Amino acid sequence: MLLKVKDLSKTFIVGLFRKKEIHAVRKVSFNIKKGEFISLVGESGSGKTTTSRMLLRLLKPSSGSVIFEGKDPWALHKIEDLKWYWKQVHGIFQDPFASFNPLYKVDRILYQTFNLLNVESDAEKEHLVKESLKEVGLRPEEVLGRYPHELSGGQRQRIMIARCYLLKPKLIIADEPISMIDASTRAGILKLFSDLRNNYETSVIFITHDLGLAYYVSDRIMIMHNGSIVEEGTPDEIMEHPKHHYTMRLKEDVPLLYRKWKGF
Amino acid sequence: MIPPILKNLLRIKKFDISVSIILFITLVGIIGPFVYTVDPTALHAPPEVPPNNKYPLGTDSYGRDLLAQLLHGIRSSLYIGLTASLISLAIGVTIGAVAGFKGGITDDSLMLVTNVVYALPSIMLMMLIAAYLKERNPLFVALIIGLTSWPWVARAVRSQLMSLKSRDFLAISRMAALSDLKIMFEDLIPNMASYIFMAFVLLMSGAMIAEAGLSMIGLGVTRGVSLGIILYWAQLLESVRRGLWWWFIPPGACLVSLATSMLLLSTSLDEYFSPRLRGR
Amino acid sequence: MSTLLLEAERVKSYYHTREGTVKAVDDVSLDVENGIILGLAGESGCGKSTLMNTLMMKIRPPLYLVDGEIIVDGERISKMERKEIKKKIWGVKISLVPQSALNALMPTKRIIDFIRDVVKFHVDVSDGEIVSMARKRFEELNLPEDSLYLYPHELSGGMKQRAVIAISTLLNPKLLIVDEPTSALDVSTQKRVLKLLLDLKKFKIIDSIVFVTHDIAVLRQIADRLVIMYAGKIVESGTLEDVLSNPKHPYTAGLIHAVITPEPEIRKRGLVSIPGEPPNLINPPSGCRFHPRCLHAMPICKKVVPELVDISNGRKVSCHLVKS
Repeated sequence: MLLKVKDLSKTFIVGLFRKKEIHAVRKVSFNIKKGEFISLVGESGSGKTTTSRMLLRLLKPSSGSVIFEGKDPWALHKIEDLKWYWKQVHGIFQDPFASFNPLYKVDRILYQTFNLLNVESDAEKEHLVKESLKEVGLRPEEVLGRYPHELSGGQRQRIMIARCYLLKPKLIIADEPISMIDASTRAGILKLFSDLRNNYETSVIFITHDLGLAYYVSDRIMIMHNGSIVEEGTPDEIMEHPKHHYTMRLKEDVPLLYRKWKGF
Repeated sequence: MIPPILKNLLRIKKFDISVSIILFITLVGIIGPFVYTVDPTALHAPPEVPPNNKYPLGTDSYGRDLLAQLLHGIRSSLYIGLTASLISLAIGVTIGAVAGFKGGITDDSLMLVTNVVYALPSIMLMMLIAAYLKERNPLFVALIIGLTSWPWVARAVRSQLMSLKSRDFLAISRMAALSDLKIMFEDLIPNMASYIFMAFVLLMSGAMIAEAGLSMIGLGVTRGVSLGIILYWAQLLESVRRGLWWWFIPPGACLVSLATSMLLLSTSLDEYFSPRLRGR
Repeated sequence: MSTLLLEAERVKSYYHTREGTVKAVDDVSLDVENGIILGLAGESGCGKSTLMNTLMMKIRPPLYLVDGEIIVDGERISKMERKEIKKKIWGVKISLVPQSALNALMPTKRIIDFIRDVVKFHVDVSDGEIVSMARKRFEELNLPEDSLYLYPHELSGGMKQRAVIAISTLLNPKLLIVDEPTSALDVSTQKRVLKLLLDLKKFKIIDSIVFVTHDIAVLRQIADRLVIMYAGKIVESGTLEDVLSNPKHPYTAGLIHAVITPEPEIRKRGLVSIPGEPPNLINPPSGCRFHPRCLHAMPICKKVVPELVDISNGRKVSCHLVKS
């Protein structure tokens, strides 16, 4: 088992005097095997993004545990251990523009990764950066040396994925990585994730609101609602025999291309 | 990176106008005293002479040359404004940045201090401190103003930092295991630079007005001249009622145009840096 | 023979910006027949929102109507004064629910007060009549009447969107244009909004709808006709079934192949992405604007702009591959 998540919870406390507790994530448990592609499907406010931030060791859980290759990332404090964790578990976010610091050239995003890798010579670094860009279908001379606002959303997101090609993490957590990409270029980006999985046995957790996308790409789907995982299964199980009423509603309300809603 | 920004800024009319006014008055204040070498405190001229060839801006009731006073006044008002705003900026940015970055108890306690200072009426505080000092040179006045006007900067910097902290690019840098210090200097501070500069401009215009305010109630500099002090004397000797317009109009106009153009400058910077206001 | 509610003839509307002229809508002709739901699909930046604003004559600098005619229900609004359009056309003959509709309501006004202001601008009726009119309409559309007395922030996103649509159609305009009304909503809320649109048409409150979206699966559920837009031009139009089952333009085919829904057919057929990226409209490609991304591009595509030609019964395509 690559990653074991047990009873992971996050409670936010808001208000200064009259404190109110918001249970963003409640006792979420699941496991991921090496090379597995799973989707966490939920609507806005379901706690899926909070979950992803906790797995990425960016947000401290209120309770529960995350165990990656036998280690709890929240017990890691030495910089060397943290480097190890983020080399193995890396994230990609929804908005490819917000992922870049607008003041720096896009190169920075890629060269940052050498903080986690052991590469000495500058020539080697440059070579690796260029290779990674080629792997995600970009021409290095077209993107290197540019500022984020000079590139398209698709190009920016490809650069974020190139970062993963440099690191070759064992687990990628991708939070809505294609929802802000033009429809006509989405398939190309999706393919990069499946290539990573096929070539390097990378596991992927795909976080999305789009049941269709989850159905298309994943080995296993987890449906999240109000902070809990309400149902879990293979895409076909989820679509053909949904058990939880929330899943049933979701399935009924998703617009389809080949079928028309009844009563419409 | 700097030239294109400047080029775009120069396209904004408000920016051009305000910068030209500020530069013009500043240059007058810096170079003026070297060109027009009359001692502003000498009492040798006939009193209350309207502007003429010998005294381009006339003289006051004590026979002091008002042009000399104005030139030196601009100089020390700018000095007080600059020093006071740098002091507030240093305190405000440090407290705001530490509070915003560290969060938790550090944040709570720093913000408590900030809010207490914020809640105190600063003019009262200035009066209290100023009244205890027998002799007040421009540096003291700048210190008094600087030490009381930082709280809003601290609060603004803190809230800016909080919003920057939740931005995705910060998480991206974090996942590259960059140190806190590196994140602070590479990701956070550069993104606040424009904001801090705007705060600086606002602080400076505020400090110059505050100097005039302190002077007007008789708690300004005791040595040398400032724009506020000229106005103080003009007011004390009822120049308005007695129609001695050359006494109060030039310093008043200088002060108002400096302060207004600084406000205008910060508005134009705000428009440039936050696209929401650009009115697409 | 169905009558035309809206006719747009060779419309060009450009943004004049510092960087250059953005040809957001370039030589577009579009008809909307009485009684249909027309779906307009295209990717972000293809000019679909600009086209809708142009059809309404909601044109403000830096956007300019460069050429073309727009006729709404017999009135040539492209020549009308703005004041007259505001009073006689908007809300009365044609209404637009813009993409930012969730912020359209006044935050400081209760819904009913907002309605009062809007209605009074167009017709001279008493406050009491407006209230009963609004209550009746909300009841008819199955919207909670209590929400009339709430402030916008007290409504959920879906409810706000439905309220905006109900208000926009209060004066029974013939045509309603909705721009991406559901893209910010969860699927269940989306379905409710779509149901509301269908009800409006069913109860004959409005005659026709133009539904603008990037989501073809949504159009599949409600549209009668489909118009596909790419880089400021219409590339294909026809009945929903025709266009979906037999796309003629390579871009339409590509767009349909990029749709992802949870259906076994999608898995079987796979996802195909169109190479390259949508062009910049300051400097669009010569000839057919799609040719740099097109797998079937021929030498002529680079040189000659293809006309949008009728190939049969109102099925129109603008592509050199298709012989009329």
